[in-house]
Amino acid sequence: METVLEVRGARHNYGATPALAGVDLDVGAGECVALLGPNGAGKTTLVNLVVGLLPAKEGRVRVCGGDPRLASTRRRLGVVQQSLGFPNTLKVVELVTGAAVRAGMPRSAAGPVMAELDLTDLAGRRAAKLSGGQRQRLQLAMALVADPRLLVLDEPTAGLDVPARKRFWQLLVERRARGTGVLVTTHLIEESSAVADRVVVLNHGRVLASGTPDELVARLPDRTVIARTALGRDRLAVLPGVVSVRNDGEHVHLGTRTPEALLRVLLAEDPGLSDLRVEGAGLEEAVAGLIERGAA
Amino acid sequence: MNAKVFGVELTDELRGIVREPTALFFSIVMPVAFFALFVSLFGKFSSGGLSAGTTMVATFGAFGVVSVVLMNPGIGVAADRERGWLRAKQVSAVPIGVTLAAKVIAALPYAAGVLLAMTATAAATGALDAPVPALLRILAVLMVGALPFALLSLAIGFQTGAGAATAVLNAILIPSAVLSGLWMPLEIMPAFFGDVAPFLPTYHLAQLALAQLTGAPVLTHVLVLLGTTIVAAALAAVSYRHARS
Repeated sequence: METVLEVRGARHNYGATPALAGVDLDVGAGECVALLGPNGAGKTTLVNLVVGLLPAKEGRVRVCGGDPRLASTRRRLGVVQQSLGFPNTLKVVELVTGAAVRAGMPRSAAGPVMAELDLTDLAGRRAAKLSGGQRQRLQLAMALVADPRLLVLDEPTAGLDVPARKRFWQLLVERRARGTGVLVTTHLIEESSAVADRVVVLNHGRVLASGTPDELVARLPDRTVIARTALGRDRLAVLPGVVSVRNDGEHVHLGTRTPEALLRVLLAEDPGLSDLRVEGAGLEEAVAGLIERGAA
Repeated sequence: MNAKVFGVELTDELRGIVREPTALFFSIVMPVAFFALFVSLFGKFSSGGLSAGTTMVATFGAFGVVSVVLMNPGIGVAADRERGWLRAKQVSAVPIGVTLAAKVIAALPYAAGVLLAMTATAAATGALDAPVPALLRILAVLMVGALPFALLSLAIGFQTGAGAATAVLNAILIPSAVLSGLWMPLEIMPAFFGDVAPFLPTYHLAQLALAQLTGAPVLTHVLVLLGTTIVAAALAAVSYRHARS
């Protein structure tokens, strides 16, 4: 498989504060890699290195064999950033057409991509007036119209509703199938696991774990306790043995290595506990567990 | 490919100005309105064989041009940075220099518009007695000489928000204009103004424009503006490198 992103021994620091402490990462053509980790893990710094906004203080970053700090290399790169604000004065069609020309593509490349992303009806609308989901689709269209070899997506579904998020991930799956490499950072771990071929967990500027979602889940003996409870998130987070807390709207999902002990505490603290079950850990619980253990 | 890309960048910038002209409205209307006031009051006075209305096309014209090129690129780049649009440009396949050059050049038609409006106003009041070639030379000198101010504008825009950029740039523009004699001749201002003026690039730009009418030596003014351009370019480069996108 052709490698579209190669990061070797990348280090970066902000003054005396290390942000990346020697990261290795590869993304192949047609491969989707999810970059996960808590705030401050170094995800944004790594993304900034990959898209050419920052130089690696040490190590090497190559996109399709080229230095991403060079404009010629960035022609092979598509970037979708979190909450981009568009100029008030430009229309959707102008932005997509402009992105095509900037990437050396014909203006006519804009039409099919806009159609693919359901933007044709919005062509004449000012981009700044679009909804959050429409703006993300526009960003993706501007990235895809250049026919990039590598797509870098930084929290691309932040602020989107569920249908918009589903549509967005579906588009990624389609693009991946056409051979585009994808590097995506997200807090929506379970959603990303549905499309990611590989997950890389970053913390304190180091790669803690890397593998398929199933491999990472299998590395931990954790279980997930699922229940309806009146206890709040803050209280749940400090219960003995809890390594992660997630709320799906109806149930809380508590990652733990000691489900029996946790059940006893839960039942003692919340007599109204209901709909209780214990399952194997999901990816989110596995990632939280890996981070808690600092596992390599 | 580069010409096409530059064309797209320039077109986007021009669209930005045409579709949302509020900011430039003040950059154009205010200087021209002030010019109209001053030229109607003093335009027909004569000094050194030239009417005040004619010399004001050079001096007040310098103010009009500088006000556009100093305000527009800096505020634009600050707004782009705030909304993340500058970052989007930085990670695109377009060298950032092309984007910034388009931003500067897009302001020039408006700067030229200010100068033409002032020239027309002077002519309408009967206070203009310069030949067309001299007026065209003034236009050319002011357009080229505006470069260091555009670079300074970018340097400030890379470091401030759009609101702060407006305030900072105005704080530079207005005192520079007054102290350089762009609004009123230095001869009628306190002597202190004349002592300070030679240290200001705005003074040298106005004098260079004025020299197109009087035939006065230009070497000092050209050298000062060249030096200012180099310093402003270095400032803009350093500012860009340290800009938080």
